[in-house]
Parts: sequence; structure tokens; C-alpha cells
Amino acid sequence: MPTPHDRPLRLERTRSANDRDAVAAERDAALRSRIAARDESALAELIELTTPWLLGVAQAMLHDADDAEDVVMDAFRVLWTTALSGDEEQGIVPLLLRITRQRAIDRLRSRQRRARLVAALTPSEVERSVVAAVEPNEAAQPGWHVHTQVHAALSTLPPEQRAAVSLAYFEGLAQSEIAVALGVPLGTVKTRIRLAFARLRTSLAPLKDWVP
Amino acid sequence: MTAHDWFVEHRTEYAARVLNDSEMQAFEEHLARCDDCNAAARRIEEELRWLPMGVAPVTPRPGLQRRILDHAVGRAPARWQQWSIPIGIAASLISAAIGWQIGHQAVREPLAAPVASTPAPQLVPDARLTALQDTLSIMRQAARVMQTKIRMHGKEGGMVIFADAKTHRWNVVVHGLPTAPADARYQFWFITADGMVRGAAVNVSPGTPMIFTTGMPEQAHGEVLGAALTMEPTTATNGPPRGKTLAHLMLAEGA
Repeated sequence: MPTPHDRPLRLERTRSANDRDAVAAERDAALRSRIAARDESALAELIELTTPWLLGVAQAMLHDADDAEDVVMDAFRVLWTTALSGDEEQGIVPLLLRITRQRAIDRLRSRQRRARLVAALTPSEVERSVVAAVEPNEAAQPGWHVHTQVHAALSTLPPEQRAAVSLAYFEGLAQSEIAVALGVPLGTVKTRIRLAFARLRTSLAPLKDWVP
Repeated sequence: MTAHDWFVEHRTEYAARVLNDSEMQAFEEHLARCDDCNAAARRIEEELRWLPMGVAPVTPRPGLQRRILDHAVGRAPARWQQWSIPIGIAASLISAAIGWQIGHQAVREPLAAPVASTPAPQLVPDARLTALQDTLSIMRQAARVMQTKIRMHGKEGGMVIFADAKTHRWNVVVHGLPTAPADARYQFWFITADGMVRGAAVNVSPGTPMIFTTGMPEQAHGEVLGAALTMEPTTATNGPPRGKTLAHLMLAEGA
């Protein structure tokens, strides 16, 4: 039975897609202004719709449910108190994703436990835990269509590039640590990551915005 | 290669935050004085803005969203609030058990609460006590508690699952829902790797939580990924769901 990940990528930007982008931009602006106006119901909506993804980002990196929850709580705190005060060009969901990921990286580094993670991880485990297909109720999971497209883009990478990106981007490991984990020279890791991100930039840049 | 060439070459890795700490710091300092690299890094960040969503979503634990909201707006929630509903249900079960035992000893009417280990509407008293003890044992050693809200006809109820990782059985609590229409019924489903597998029909009585214990479906259906509650036509007694999905709960990894 085909999974959503088997579907071909449809990332072409069409005129109707541009129209949808305009609608998404308007919705994003409306949500942003409600939150800037301290509308708690807007924040609650955003929390309900995005928390599963933010938890996924934090938990993939931290491997600890409690720490991941703390990171997500902090991310929303930052959003509520500071991040919307400036003239942010970035969409509100990507902004939350970026804050969450940065907070998770900070926490990971402050823990000084990456050596243990390197020792514990193998590429196959990374594949399974981070970018492997999961099958929740697709229709009911807001943002699922974005996940399927990102997952499809990751799936087009050669396995060795995908493993390097998974460890670097999703697990938060330094390139030198990845070299140890994968048993390859540091230069090889750098090359794989550079090539992988070049492809991902091309395939992900046209993705349409998702606004809850 | 000039010093600037290095920054040009590593713009993407900077934007993706995959450089090491000293390289990140050097890049930050460079960005403060290089408009070209600054603009390029922002453009790359924009291109990769959805990449974090390559991860699998994780179902929030009960009460987390409330705690996030409280934390974000600066309210200090009581730690126990995240467990208020599960604790309330567990407390009501324990109360029911005590009440039943007292009643049983006094040869009174048997327990009225709809607690059953399997669909067995006419359990004898000793069997009901055993079922209740079984239910409580799962509640006590549940490694995972999941809950979701269900809104119907202006009422807010929910579904709570206490998952016992040792015995691979669940206590399922459905509460706060109106009675099903005459031509429909609430239906519990397992979401498995191979599709939806029919679980127990749920008979809802207003004001009384419906609690039942269930084992996992046969392994032939694949790994259990979650559960759902639907409103099914009474005529639909087999096959896939045909009615409206009222709620679903997805297990995170390792359930």
C-alpha cells in the first residue's frame, strides 16, 4: 500500500500556489497581530497545532521527554514575550521551529552529553528515529502535508548524505562527532553535509507556507 | 582562499546551525560586518525554514499544552494540574472499588459504575470485583497516560488511555460525552500499521465516565500506533470506520 512518502514531490510554484501563499501570509499576519495583542486564545490555538512538531524537533535532539517539553515551553515563552515585538519577516511557525531547535541545541551543548549520544547512535537508528516514516492519522495531524514533503526531499538524498544531515541537523551533533559516529574522515562528513544541504535548499525552498 | 571565501563556502552550514561552536562564533562576528553574507544567510534560512518538520511529530502528554500556555504568559501552574483528569478518574475508580466492597459485604446492590474488564454486561459480583482489581492494577502500573478533548454538541468531554507497558493492556476512559443518537454508537478503534482495527463499542451514560480495559489486537494487524473514537452507524458492525472521527491519540515512540 503506498504511503504518503511514496507520492511524487509537487513543489512547483504555480499561480494558484502564489494565491495560496498570499492567503497564508494574511493568516500569518493575523495570527501574529493577535498574539502581539496578547490574545491568549490565539496562542492556545498555535500551541495546540504546533506542539507535536516542536516536541518532535526537541525530542529528536535531546532524547528526553521532560527536557523536550521544557524546550518547547521556553520557545513559546520567547515567542510571547519578545520574538513578535520586532519586524519579523519569517512565518510564525518557522520562527517557532527555529527557536525550538536553537534552544534544544543550547541545552544539548550545556548538558555535555553528546559524547554519550555519539556512542549510542548508529546511522540506522538515526534513520529510524528521526526521518523514518511515521504514520499517524494523516488527515488529523495539522502540518502533516509539510512533513510529507520534507520527508520526501530527505528521501531523495543518498543514504550517506541523509545520515550525515540527520546527525548534524536533527541530532545536533558537531561534524567532528559525526565523523566519529560514522567512522569516516571529517572532510568526508563536511562534503556530504554540503552536498546534502545544496540539494535540500533546491527542493525545500519552493515549499508553500503552512499557517495553522 | 581568502578569509571571506571560507565564510562564503560555509553560509549554508551556518544557516543550518551545523557548524561547531567556535565556527558559529566566528561567523556571527563576520556577519556583523558583512552585508553580503548576512543577506545570503537569511535567504538560506528562509529556504530551509521547513526542514525541522522532517521529524516525526510527538503526541503531547496530558496537560502539557495547558502548561505551555501558562508558562508562556507567565502564570505558574500547579504541577498537579497536568494529571488532574487522570488522577480524578483513578480516584473515582478507587472510590468505586471501596464502595463496592462495602456494598458487597453488606449484600447490597452491586456496583453501578460501568467498569468492566471485557464486554461482559452480566458479571457476577465476584467477577466484577476481579475485573475492578484488574482495572486498578493497570491504572497503578500505567507507564503512559494519554488524553484528548472531545467537543460534541456544546459539551466538552474526552478520552483518556492508561497504557500498561508490562501487560500491553489499556484502560480506556471516555467521559463527558452526550448519549449517542438512536441510530449511532461510539466505537473505539486501534490505529495499527495496517489500518484501523475495531475495538469495543462504547456505551455512554451522561455524567458517568465509561471505563473499559482492552488488550491489543492480534499482531497480524501490525504495530499499534494509536487509538481513535468514532461515531458509527449502528448498522456498521464490521469493516473500516464509516462514521465521523471524534478523537484520536497517537502513541509516540516506544509505546
